[in-house]
Amino acid sequence: MQYCGDFRTTYEKDVKIFQTPFIKICMGFLGVALLALPYLIKGEYLWIALQILIAVIGAVGLNILTGFTGQISLGQGAFLGVGAYTSAYLTAKMGLSFWVGVPAAGLVTAMAGMVFGIPSLRLKGLYLAIATLASQFILEWVFIRWEPVTGGSYGIAVPRPVIGNFTFESDGSYYYIVLAFTVAMTLFATNLIRTKTGRAFMAVRDHYISAEIMGISLYKYRLLSFGISSFYAGVAGALFGHALKFVSSEQFNIGVSIVYLAMIIIGGLGSIIGSIFGAVFMILLPKLLSVATTMISADFPSVTKMVMAFEQGIFGLIIVLFLIFEPDGLAHRWKLIKAYWKLYPFSY
Amino acid sequence: MKQTMRVVAMVAAMALFVTGAAFSAPAIKVGHLADLTGATGEVGKPYAQGVQDYKDWVNKNGGINGKQIDMPMFDYAYDKNKAVNQYKKYKEDGVVAIQGWGSGDTEALSATTGSDKIPYVSASYSAHLTDPKKAPYNFFCAADYSSALRAGLKYLKDNWKEKRAPKVVFIYPNVPYGIAPIKGGKEYAKEIGFEVLGDENVDLKAIEANSQLLSVKNKAADFAWVGGTTNSTAVILKDAKKLGLKTKFFCNIWGADESTPKLAGGAEEGTLVMAGSTLYGSKVPGMKQLMKITNNKPQVTHYIRGYVSMMVLTEALKIADKKGQLNGPGVKAALESLKNFDTGGLAANKITFTATDHRPFMTTNIMAFEKGKLVLKKTIDLPRKAEWLGL
Repeated sequence: MQYCGDFRTTYEKDVKIFQTPFIKICMGFLGVALLALPYLIKGEYLWIALQILIAVIGAVGLNILTGFTGQISLGQGAFLGVGAYTSAYLTAKMGLSFWVGVPAAGLVTAMAGMVFGIPSLRLKGLYLAIATLASQFILEWVFIRWEPVTGGSYGIAVPRPVIGNFTFESDGSYYYIVLAFTVAMTLFATNLIRTKTGRAFMAVRDHYISAEIMGISLYKYRLLSFGISSFYAGVAGALFGHALKFVSSEQFNIGVSIVYLAMIIIGGLGSIIGSIFGAVFMILLPKLLSVATTMISADFPSVTKMVMAFEQGIFGLIIVLFLIFEPDGLAHRWKLIKAYWKLYPFSY
Repeated sequence: MKQTMRVVAMVAAMALFVTGAAFSAPAIKVGHLADLTGATGEVGKPYAQGVQDYKDWVNKNGGINGKQIDMPMFDYAYDKNKAVNQYKKYKEDGVVAIQGWGSGDTEALSATTGSDKIPYVSASYSAHLTDPKKAPYNFFCAADYSSALRAGLKYLKDNWKEKRAPKVVFIYPNVPYGIAPIKGGKEYAKEIGFEVLGDENVDLKAIEANSQLLSVKNKAADFAWVGGTTNSTAVILKDAKKLGLKTKFFCNIWGADESTPKLAGGAEEGTLVMAGSTLYGSKVPGMKQLMKITNNKPQVTHYIRGYVSMMVLTEALKIADKKGQLNGPGVKAALESLKNFDTGGLAANKITFTATDHRPFMTTNIMAFEKGKLVLKKTIDLPRKAEWLGL
């Protein structure tokens, strides 16, 4: 029980993930809602929910690298691809189980990420961004040209997971697997940033010279951050491949990397909850725009073509406006809303 | 009196309701994914219009054994995510088939349509979509990219007069669409006596291709295959003219069309196009109806292919309906039962699908640009070789 103010008398209380009973109750309701979701929605909307869960994993991973360690990466799309192809190869071509394929995808992608993260010792900021952009192009080239493994321009058909005689063929059943991965990996990331490793990441981000003076190995933690971030990307990519039942090079282009970067910037850099908000926002926005433009075109058929053509423009405009008026991301707005209700009616 | 009137009105309303219900058969739901405003909108729009125009004509002329086709178009703007989202909606709506469009959506959905058992008739002509083992529910109504390339090579070899082996290069973008036919094409080129010189990559969004064409010039290639789309092909042809290349170009189905002379400004003269349909206004039996539907307004070949695609699906819907199997597997079986289906000469040949081979035909219309217009030069019909299936 907490009274007026936010008293924490022990370190244990200070590091609790769910600070108050109210938050625990809210999280309980959220959990029930997430479990009930496949019974409430289906078809297109269930597919969007699946995409959001997968995007949360990828965004949390990228936030560990960019938000917490301060390393810009423009290669998240390609790392998703490494994961998707690894799991596809292991399950579709080698006949291994999904339960082997997905963790292996994470590990292989972590290794790939660490290889491409090696320049991070010498490069930072925009220079590192360009180096990671190179990884995007190199990996895309590998996806399309390494035909015996990736299927080349034809791609690979991927099976859905199986337990005993049950195949997770429907989106509804597969949703629960993805949900389990998302919850587990989000909780892991939340805990990670509260450990020595997480603090080291933030020290590297905030002032790398001070961090080094304090005895933090820049090379180790930068590389580790790349590894963990890529592991998340690998798992997300693998889950997406199994969701769509098909993996091809066109699914993991530079556009995907940019969308993921936009997710964490809009959601809030250096915030796990921000990654979740960003993933929800970026996946839902195109759909909401599509619904809005369809409604407008139904009422004004003559402007249909114009509205459809402007959809992409509106998408960009919303992101720009968001960055101008909410530069700290949705996580910051969430904090302000919470503070407002906590302090109401006294705003001090 | 008032009560009597009320009863009469109720009876009349009931009668209207009952007869109305009896006369209006349920509509057949079909999905339609089109690109009107995206990266391939320029060619996607006429194709989609062809699909919709034929559907409207069917609905006005008795529908499918009296049933109307309910097929609203969805513009997915060449965004794969949007296409997959809309596909899930179509599946939920219970469509019996889908008219699709490009490589991205077709490839991404290939495995899903297979397990969902929803026939997907598209305009992505990648050869591996013709192998029912890999893509059981995919269909299209033109020669696959590899067969079209083989047809072009055969035409060039047949017209080769010199004693030495003709030299050929392959110019294509480094994307699945560009790469898909190269392996099969190269094998065939070697088989019929071409000297294969190597590849050049020109991006679909290229604004110049000087270095690649200088390389082609240095190699002294007699022929160059262009596997891009209209804009990049126009860039290649213009730069080739500027550099004084004597190489003869031959393009994939999306590489050039009636709009090319405008884009290439005369540099297209003599270039060959591997077309999958006839030209607007040509003297074939099916053209009369098509011209009537389009009010004699000339259309590009992509429109005609869209029109043919819907014509074929309509036929399958009719067969499936007659058998009382108006569902995904029923429509697939109906498509696979088509033997020498005549499109009135609009497609390059009569269409035959089987349960083990989804190649509609092995025929390509070789067209050439002559004074700014496409002219049919020859129709090449290749054998339906088993080893070419899916390659």
